[in-house]
Amino acid sequence: MGSKTATEAQKYVWEGAIPLQIHLHESEVTTLPSPSPALILAPRIGYLPLLVPQIKPFFSSTLPPGSDTVWFEYQGLPLKWYIPTGVLYDLLCAEPERPWNLTVHFRGYPGNILTPCEGEDSVKWSFINSLKEAAYIVNGNCKNVMNMSQSDQSELWRSVLNGNLEAYIRVSSKLKLGLGGDDFSIKLNTSSLKYRQSAADAEASATIKAGKCFTLGDAVKALLPELFPDKSLPNDSMSLPQVEDGEGSALEEASDTGSARSPEDTGELVRECQDSCSLSETADVKLIRIQGIEPKLEIPFAWVVNNLMNPEHFLHISVYVRVQEPITV
Amino acid sequence: MASEPRKVVVHLRATGDAPILKQAKFKIDGSDKFVKVIDFLRRQLHRDTLFVYVNSAFSPNPEELITDLYNNFGIDGKLVVNYACSMAWG
Repeated sequence: MGSKTATEAQKYVWEGAIPLQIHLHESEVTTLPSPSPALILAPRIGYLPLLVPQIKPFFSSTLPPGSDTVWFEYQGLPLKWYIPTGVLYDLLCAEPERPWNLTVHFRGYPGNILTPCEGEDSVKWSFINSLKEAAYIVNGNCKNVMNMSQSDQSELWRSVLNGNLEAYIRVSSKLKLGLGGDDFSIKLNTSSLKYRQSAADAEASATIKAGKCFTLGDAVKALLPELFPDKSLPNDSMSLPQVEDGEGSALEEASDTGSARSPEDTGELVRECQDSCSLSETADVKLIRIQGIEPKLEIPFAWVVNNLMNPEHFLHISVYVRVQEPITV
Repeated sequence: MASEPRKVVVHLRATGDAPILKQAKFKIDGSDKFVKVIDFLRRQLHRDTLFVYVNSAFSPNPEELITDLYNNFGIDGKLVVNYACSMAWG
């Protein structure tokens, strides 16, 4: 966010919260009657492990002996703790569930499914590294984040912890990670042509042509061309992009464009798609959700990025895809 | 078309006082997650605590795909992974 004052949309995003109803897993209830669920308002831009200090008092008297290794699950699915709460909600609740019923565990961490999390420090580390990754994509290096003073880094993290947008802007504007106007540059990296994976990494951008600006729809189509088989793409060479950052050598597979574009001072990484590893031509985009809203695809992408991205400078787009069941005879 | 995972060349580089591996370059499936590199390093170096970075810059999330990291951060046809025994680029 390059602006010095918060936009109204940014304020809405930072104030956004998900009402949670958190149940202790039955295997960890040692008292009768079982404890009532904890009702917590979770900031969208926050992370579930950060809520543990609020949640624990509801259940501490009933927990079995042992040390805490907290994890959350939704309908049996262990939740990845490094994904912002709002994104988890947008992704997992096709029909928004209010309150969102989650189960918390304090024991038996599924180490084979979830990466370890030791509370706030783990979340902070993950956050700072994501921020560095974003900086690297935008600037080609993450010196700006690495050179932050300790007090600035602490203040940045605290601003996220406390949902303090003004404080966040104050510190983050020093990082100069803002987008330059409406200019964008497209740097698309799709991996193997045959390998369809759910999360496409890209830095989306496009220059303004004849008064038309690059829209959210353009960005999604460029990132997930396989989901728009019948529509013409803004640029044919986008369909199978293979772009290097000017220094990388060509990858083994054939490249349609072969043109290298260096990252401009723009763009954020787009992450997060609904799980669908085997997209076929029958796939349809049912829903595109960002920060709990379904923005019109005509909205300029620059606006979407500037206003709806998360504090670590990633824009999380949740995409719902309908895949037809194969007909078996 | 059979989907063959493409291999990515990973170059492991020691930082600080971390031991240097005899063999530092490996090929790994692009479809693997970064955690595979981390676990490999842990086993090779017999150390649980390791700090692992890409391009001496940041520590990717262990669940990131090698192919994504390579596509975005690869240099000269390989992914450079630095490892240290203590935090190098905090």
